[in-house]
This record gives sequence, C-alpha cells and structure tokens, in this order.
Amino acid sequence: MAFGHLFIFKRALFTPFQDLVFLRNLFLGTQLRLTSSVQRPGTTVSKEVRPEVLEQLFLNPTWSVESLLPPKMHPSDGPKITSQQLHHLLRLSALPLPENPEEEKKMLDTLSAQLHFVGEIQQVNTTGVKPLRVIRDETAAAEQEQTITLQTLREALTKEKAIGKHHKRIQRQTDPVDARNTEDLDVLGFAEKKVGKYLMVESQRPQE
Amino acid sequence: MLAHPFRTALAAFSNRPYICQSCLCRVKPQLLASRHPVIKITSRALQTQDNAPNKDNAPFRKSLKDAAKQKRKQERENAGASKKSQKGKDTRLEKWELTVGIEIHAELNTARKLFSSATTSVNELPNTHVALFDAAFPGSQPHFQIETLIPALRSALALSCNIQQKSTFDRKHYFYQDQPAGYQITQYYEPFARDGHITLYPHDFPSGVSPEGGPVTIGIRQIQIEQDTAKTVLQPPSTYLLDFNRVSHPLIEIITLPHIHNASTAAACVRKIQGILKAVNAVTAGMEMGGLRADVNVSVRERNAQAGVAGLSYYGVSGLGQRTEIKNLASVKAVEEAIIAERDRQIGLLESGGVVEGETRGWTIGSKTTKRLRGKEGEIDYRYMPDPDIAPIIVGNDVVEHLRETLPMLSDDYIQKLVSKEYGLTSKDASTLLLLDDGDRLDYYFDVVENLRSTFSGTRDVLSRVGKVAGNWVLMELGGLFKNEEWSSSRVPSDALAAIIAHLLRKQITGRTAKLLLSMKFEGDARLVEHIIIDDDMILRPLSRQEYTALAEKVLEGKPDMVRDIVENQQHQKLKWFVGQMMARSAEGTVEPGAAEATLRELLQLPPLEQK
Repeated sequence: MAFGHLFIFKRALFTPFQDLVFLRNLFLGTQLRLTSSVQRPGTTVSKEVRPEVLEQLFLNPTWSVESLLPPKMHPSDGPKITSQQLHHLLRLSALPLPENPEEEKKMLDTLSAQLHFVGEIQQVNTTGVKPLRVIRDETAAAEQEQTITLQTLREALTKEKAIGKHHKRIQRQTDPVDARNTEDLDVLGFAEKKVGKYLMVESQRPQE
Repeated sequence: MLAHPFRTALAAFSNRPYICQSCLCRVKPQLLASRHPVIKITSRALQTQDNAPNKDNAPFRKSLKDAAKQKRKQERENAGASKKSQKGKDTRLEKWELTVGIEIHAELNTARKLFSSATTSVNELPNTHVALFDAAFPGSQPHFQIETLIPALRSALALSCNIQQKSTFDRKHYFYQDQPAGYQITQYYEPFARDGHITLYPHDFPSGVSPEGGPVTIGIRQIQIEQDTAKTVLQPPSTYLLDFNRVSHPLIEIITLPHIHNASTAAACVRKIQGILKAVNAVTAGMEMGGLRADVNVSVRERNAQAGVAGLSYYGVSGLGQRTEIKNLASVKAVEEAIIAERDRQIGLLESGGVVEGETRGWTIGSKTTKRLRGKEGEIDYRYMPDPDIAPIIVGNDVVEHLRETLPMLSDDYIQKLVSKEYGLTSKDASTLLLLDDGDRLDYYFDVVENLRSTFSGTRDVLSRVGKVAGNWVLMELGGLFKNEEWSSSRVPSDALAAIIAHLLRKQITGRTAKLLLSMKFEGDARLVEHIIIDDDMILRPLSRQEYTALAEKVLEGKPDMVRDIVENQQHQKLKWFVGQMMARSAEGTVEPGAAEATLRELLQLPPLEQK
C-alpha cells in the first residue's frame, strides 16, 4: 500500500495561486503609483483602479483547495481502506486505536479524503523535476566549503599513532576526551521512572 | 509489540557488570524461559556438538586442530552405520542450492558519537555520556562529527568499495524503547560506499579447503553509516532498564550480495570481515563483546529449475527462492549453525509441498531449528525519508587517497608473504601468527627473522631455513611458555631468541639445550645467551662414532630382556628408552637423540629410521 512520500514538495506552483499573486502585486503597485509623481520612461501606465473595485474583485474566490478534496455528497473514488489497514497504520504511528465504530468510520473517511487529495496533487506533471528535500545552500561554492578535506580531518588524524616495527598497524589514542559541556545533561532528572542509574520502561500494562 | 531480541540479547550480556547481585539472582533463572531469546555467556559452555571453533578469538590453531579431529571422528563413524544418513543428506543438497546474504553491523572505533560530541564508551556508568540530541530532546539538533568518517572510510577501502563523493542520511521510523527519537538515522538511499568485494581463500577456512574448490569472491552491495541504539536489560517479566550511553554510537552496516552458497563460507566471510575491520583499526570489539552483529538472509532453490519458474531477485541476483531473515546471531559458530538449520527446515518444507514464508526468525545457541519472531503481517513499514536536518557528506578526493595509501597491509597479503619461499611457513601457521596478540607476535617474528638473516647472510642453505625454524620457535616453543600468560615481547627479547636459534642451526647446541636456554631466559636470566652457554658448559661436543657405539653397547648390556623384546617381538618403541638412557648417562648436551637412535638401530640390526 503506497501512500506516497508526502515530504515531496513540487517546485511548480499552482496557476490559480499565481493569478492571486499577480493581482496582489497589481494592487500594491497601484497604491504606490497613486502616491508617487514620477513616471519612468518606457513603462506602460495602467488605468487607475479604485480600491472599491478591487474589494469587489476579492469578494468571491475563484479557486479553493476544496477542489482537491472529494465532493461531500459522493463517495470517494479513491482506493478502499480496510479496517485492518487502518489499525496497522495506527500501530505504526503509535496512535490509539478508535474506540467505537463511529470514530473508526470518521477516521476512514478522513483518510479516504486525504488519499483523494494526494491523488489530485499527483496529477501535476513533474517529469524532470528533482524532489526538494530541504532548503539548503546547494551552490558550488557552498559545496566546496562543506567538503571534508585532509585539512579538516587533520586534528583527528594526529590522534592516531603507528605501532609495530615490521608489522605496521594503526591505533587510535584512547586519551580521555573532554565532553563535559555536552554530557552535563541530567538524563535521569527527566525520567518518569528509574531504577538506580537506569531509566525504566514497562513494556506491558501492569495488571490492575 | 515490535520485537528486537537481538539487541536485547546483546545488551543483556554486554551490560552484565552493572547489574547488582540481587537483580542477577532474580534474572538468571528466568532468562532461559523468557519469550525473547536472551543470550547468557555461560550457555556457551553447554554446547555439546563441537563442530567448529566455538570462540572466534580463540587461537585459530585450536580451531584448525578441532576441524582435523572432527574429520577423523567422522571418518571413523562413516565406517559404521551412519553412511546412509550422510548419503540422504548429500542427495538433498544435490537437488537444492542454498543462497545466503549477510548484513553485518560493526561499532566504529571513534572518540565521539555520530551526531553529538558526547564521548563513546563501552563499560561506563549508565547514562553518563548522553547529549541532548542522543536523548532526543525536542529542539535538539544533530552535529555530524567528521572524525567518524576515518574508520568508516578505512573499512570501505579495505573492502575494495567505491567511495561516493556525496552521501546523505535518511530516517528509518519505528518505535521501540531503545530508540528515543522514534527513528534511526541511517543511509538508505545514498550510502557512502558501494560495490565492494571480499575474497575468501582456502586459508580462511578452518579445514584449509574451500567448499567451492578455489577462492570465493563475495560482492558487497554497500556500506552505510548509521546510529546505534540504547542498551536494554530485561528484568522479567516485562521491565526494561535503559542505558543511553550507546545511543548514536557510530555503526557501519555492511551488506553483501547473495553470492554465498555454503554455511561454512558464510561463517568464514563473517570471520574474515571481522578480521579486516580489526586490521584497519575500524573496530576494537569483536563479536564476543557485542561490537559486531550479523543478520543473515537464507533461501533455497532447486539447482535444475525449469526456465519457466520465475524466481525472486535481490540486488540483481535473480531466480532466488523466498528468503527468511535470521536475527540474533552473536558468534561465527552461531551463524554457521543457524544457516544449516534454516536451510534444512526450508528444504523439508518445500519437499513436503509447503511454501516458505518471508518472515523474521531467531536462533539461540544449542537449539535445533530457528524460531519465528514475526511474520509478514508484523512486517514493519519503515517509511524511509531523507533527514532534512543533516547536510550531505561530501568527501574530498585527497582524504580518500591519503587513507588508501596509508591503509595497513591486510591479512591476505601477509599470508601470501609468509607462505612464499621468503619465509616458508604453512598457511595454518601463517594464519595463527597473524591472529595472535593483535599482531604483536607477528612483529616479533619478523624481528627474529631479520636478526637471523643478518647473522647468516653468507650461508645460503641455512638462510632458506631460517623463516621456518623461527616460525616453529615463536609459535610452538615460546608460545608454549606463554600459555597462561599475556604476551610480552620483552620477556625473551627477539635478539636473545635469534641467538639461541643461531647456535642451534650451527649445531653448537642440541635441541634440548636450546629449549632449556629458552626457558632460562623466560624465567628472567639476564645473562647473554653466549655467556650462559659458556658458563653452564652447554656446548655440544659431538661424540665420535666409536664413543656412540661404546655407549650404546654399555646401555644395551644392562637390559638384555628389553633387547629381546625389541628384536624378536618388534617392539621398536622401547628403543626410545635406550636413547634416553644414553643421554642421561652422558653430559648435558653431548648426545644427540637422532645420532643415538641411529647407532642403536645399527647395533641391533634394525631398519634405519626414516628421515623426518
């Protein structure tokens, strides 16, 4: 059962959203033009738009994310999810199982709607688009800086010595390392239950 | 309940020093009865079948001796009635082919952990080396410690892998009490090393013979860096005690391709990989200490399968049967036995018309079959996801080249060198020398040989024997003296041993005198070897032929009935007693046993002894 990897955000944006952005920029632009008196050569001057007209324009949305969800009246045409699959998923996520059949039906309906949503999103053509994992500096200069070189490892390599006269071997020096600033965490102080220097966990519910 | 008994098991026995005596008393009788197979070290002593070496850091020589002993025992048994069952087994194996893939997890030898600068530890007070990220405190961030790459890269280079310039980390999600974050950080999509291989030669097998006939090359699909989990101690019935010192300790996972078709090959492969990792100082603790763990995937298929039957394919090897995974293998012997048991179970199942299910099974030492741990319905969906908090690792070429050039010489090259005419050792002796005392014994051996070479640089015929003789003395004689003690190369300095051997080779002293000298130096005699020989008058004054004959006649006269036994009843062993008598009656170091025996045989008109 593939639910897709929801972390994949496509770089291609939706067209309706782009329309909204354009309109917003236009509105801001007109506000600015109303206050400035300088007209730069080569620019087209658009007709002056009054705020009331724009307000009217924004009253009725032209698109909503609801269009990606299944219609409320008709049953979803997505894949049917069994109760067993739902229970398996809840166990994987360490979430509590539904207490009664109504709650289970509600969960199944929500899940079904979410699957429909994912299906709609997967309609977008993403051939040739690499999935974005995280927003990070991926320029060549940044990669160069992040490369691990002999220089960056130099200190670690000095902590080894070569032993043996004929049969040469490497041995890492096991001098004590000072890590007090990271290890000063009082792990046991945050533990709910502990036994001596250990944290304690019950893997079964205690018999009442 | 997601079961991870192998971690529990290893946690249990590697954590023993911390359990108070009352807990131990409570835990001991319950352990064998607990649902999760928890391994106790003492249970190893209960093994009744001693097929192969039962400790992988015991002298390899012992395992070689055991294998030879086992072979002789089997030959004796085969002469009896058990020939039939052996035949049955062989025909089954002719029909079915076994395929095994191995996954090895090894703890890296680093000062600090993988994603935090807390220190790594083996047996320290519980929960004293834990950073915020190790305990998965909300808001804590990982800080990748680059020095963990050094042992990881060395392992990959020693296993002939291609180092990937860029590799990334992924999250493997599952809930268990030994994992505070709810996911393990590993390298699923882009590991740092791919496409390596390891070759097993006949000397890597205890019997000295490779089951496939010649050297076996096993491909390594990839090596990845990942985090270790916490140590858990089970207090029955269901309480776990957690020690987070080990969380985020760097591990490498080595995944082989399913190229192994023999249980003994698999065991040899695990032993060899462990040896290689130790040789490059990437790991310090072996399987015994819980520093190395192996999981195996076992499947069988018919050798002469029809073309139409579609098999499963794993990592590019196609036509395979359904595999099961065996976890919880804590020693090389366990690997071999578990694979044999699982192979027989699967063959039995398939021959009786059943179907092998893809499940996870466990093995305890001393059991006959593997036990099911979880089936397909309990299969875990790990939902692998690239970890957005960790930057990709970009390794520069200069690092890889430097580590490749400074990589220590590996066991295969050493054994080749030692077996060649240059040193002339047997492959058994060479393997033993490599394994003893973390390589110190080998270093000492090379020193002795160098010393002897400079002494005998003129005489070519003696020079060719120097390696073999030195090998005998370092392994057998000196080894025997060190039997119950820890090795020290200063106890008998290499130049002292070289001097003793030099005198022996020049026939200035007898073999017995040489052994005596050795034990004198071992006990702390500070005089130079030459001085001891002169002071204690140990020089061999070889007797002339007449002197030998006269002595022999005198000794024979004393016991005429024994002489009769030897000559008439062919009891040639009694000759040795006469030799002893001749040696006892003359000064120390004057009678050579070989010459004495030859003289006696001549006198009694017996056939001469074959040259050894």
